Amino acid sequence: MSNVLRPYLAAVRSTLTAALTLENFSSQVVERHNKPEVEAAGSKEVLLNPLTISRNENERVLIEPSVNSIRLSIKIKQADEIERILCHKFTRFMMQRAENFIVLRRKPVPGYDISFLITNTHSETMLKHKIVDFIIQFMEDVDREISEMKLSLNARARIVAESYLTAFNS
Amino acid sequence: MAPEVFNIAQTPITCHAFSADHKQVAVSLNSNDAQIYTRQGAAWTPTETLSEHDKLITSIDWAPNSNRIVTASQDRNAYVWQQTPDPQTGKVTWKPTLVLLRINRAATHVRWSPKEDKFAVASGARAIAICSFDPENNWWVSKLLKKPIRSTVLSVDWHPNNVLLAAGSADMKARVFSAYIKEVDDKPAATVWGSKLPFNTICGEYASPAGGWVHAVGFSPSGNVLAFASHDSSISIVYPDGPAIYNIRISSLPFVTLTWTAEDTLVAAGHDCQPVVFSGSEAGWQGVGSLDDSTSAKAGAGPRAGPGGVGRLNSLAFSTFRDADTRGHTGAGGTPSDTKLLTVHQNTITSVRPYEVRGGRVSRVSTSGVDGNLVIWDADNVSAVAGAFGGLRV
Amino acid sequence: MDNAFRKIDIDAYDEDVLQEEELFDADPRDPAQVLDDAKQRQSAVRSALARSDVVGALNTVLENAPYGPNVEEAKTVTLQTLLTILNTTKATEIPAVIKALSQDGQDTLMKYLYKGMAMPGWGDISGSVLLGWHEKLTEVAGTGCIVRTMTDRRTV
Repeated sequence: MSNVLRPYLAAVRSTLTAALTLENFSSQVVERHNKPEVEAAGSKEVLLNPLTISRNENERVLIEPSVNSIRLSIKIKQADEIERILCHKFTRFMMQRAENFIVLRRKPVPGYDISFLITNTHSETMLKHKIVDFIIQFMEDVDREISEMKLSLNARARIVAESYLTAFNS
Repeated sequence: MAPEVFNIAQTPITCHAFSADHKQVAVSLNSNDAQIYTRQGAAWTPTETLSEHDKLITSIDWAPNSNRIVTASQDRNAYVWQQTPDPQTGKVTWKPTLVLLRINRAATHVRWSPKEDKFAVASGARAIAICSFDPENNWWVSKLLKKPIRSTVLSVDWHPNNVLLAAGSADMKARVFSAYIKEVDDKPAATVWGSKLPFNTICGEYASPAGGWVHAVGFSPSGNVLAFASHDSSISIVYPDGPAIYNIRISSLPFVTLTWTAEDTLVAAGHDCQPVVFSGSEAGWQGVGSLDDSTSAKAGAGPRAGPGGVGRLNSLAFSTFRDADTRGHTGAGGTPSDTKLLTVHQNTITSVRPYEVRGGRVSRVSTSGVDGNLVIWDADNVSAVAGAFGGLRV
Repeated sequence: MDNAFRKIDIDAYDEDVLQEEELFDADPRDPAQVLDDAKQRQSAVRSALARSDVVGALNTVLENAPYGPNVEEAKTVTLQTLLTILNTTKATEIPAVIKALSQDGQDTLMKYLYKGMAMPGWGDISGSVLLGWHEKLTEVAGTGCIVRTMTDRRTV
């Protein structure tokens, strides 16, 4: 694990732990409703300052806390065109199946690649520290997954090119 | 004495209230019904369900002397429950009476006044309803405390003189109001909070230091000191006569509930999953330690979670990931030791209340948590956790 | 047909609703004076750094840091000054420096670390320096310090 990655994930972990202090909060704008305040944004006083943690310009995490929900958005490292395409396909695949991931948001926040919406219901039904672990593991895995896909894509391209060029070899 | 731990349910317990004899407890299991559990030996068995609300019950209080239960819910209603014999069968059941709250948002917190002739309902309608019984019409009527509340009221607490009321709200302020109702109360004697107390007098307004919602408020047993816990991970103690406010910033997650155990000590609990004891006097306040001593015993063994440890970074999860990365060692988070927190409560503590009073001091307190546990702690069994309180200063 | 009125957020016109500027007490100082202060502090910090007095330099910056609206320029100057200090401090010295700060200082430092990370163009600082400080600061001041950064509306 590279040296910069560890403090980066550590910062995300501690910030997320601090943000996951949610409670059941019924809307004070609409009666008998109970909605994630970070999405509804109806009352200013129950939203907290959003925090950004960044490793460099291309990799950062935005955490927007509120009284009963938090939104966490990740910008995944994309060094070149291939990584950009892979990242887009990968996140799209998951967001289309967002209901299976429970905490995943169907659409990322503008400027980011993938967003999670964690509400007080999630922190009640699941162990809080396990949600944090999940997000951290996701951040680790997504980088690895994309670089693996890139490698196999390159390898495949090489094989295709080789077998194509053998035709001219004789 | 080790804390008594009862696992009531797998769902969160949003609030709890014991009957006067401690044989019964009313809890809300994150649902529309209030459940009454009766103690049978070492276990609690559900005996009765109070169902009338049609949204989540947020708070329950059980009046010890008049044996009445009041429940508040997000459906904007409150009910007073009284044990009455059924006219046909003679069986004693809990009968609800609707309270005319006149609020149009969720009720968030409810507490009986010390004399049990009034109760206060905090609400999301930027108001507190003070309810008293109207014998003429045989129902509970309410009077609203409105100004100058600007946001949802999150908690209320009564002064022992039955008139003053403290409230903490999401507009980052803790306030002390007069809830004097002519028909019910005798003229109150002067206190440190003021002498003339018509309804809705504001006797004090205190802002949380770094702008957090005030989750919990509490008067000391004498009523001369006010404590409040706010979301900026701090707890403030207010002495109104000497204009002193002591603010203790804690290094771990915010508290959401607190209770005084004596004139010089209080117990606070919240997202940190353990009850923490603070003590002091007019000269200053400080954190003493935790009631949860299992942490200190095992803190060295488990590098992750636990209070204070949540912020400690070189954690087990990281080494698990590193193992997975370098050695292909899978099982990230699969080991049981990693899944369990070192504290008794496995998730946020939702409420802490006095359980047993002995010799003028609260000797035991009870807590309920999001993990579905109900725990009774010995309030004097404080263990200082050096690691968790490293950053704790007045 | 004009139907723009359907999109009006009528809840914003409720007289009870809390406005952004009511969430904290405004800075009583005049914006121009705050900017002057920030610039003076910049030179004070330089001389402190020349004496290699990191704690003194940090205290100078973190005390009475500008907050609230209308003082963007002073905020930028203060952030730049702070970043010079952070950049010049050796990694091994960081824990001792943080422990020497007051709780107020620690809370304000945490706000600046997050502000630094949220800036789109980095200027002369690399992410690893801020992340290193963040890690050390969290070890000393705990998650409570991060919670206060979230709740405190007096943003730097």
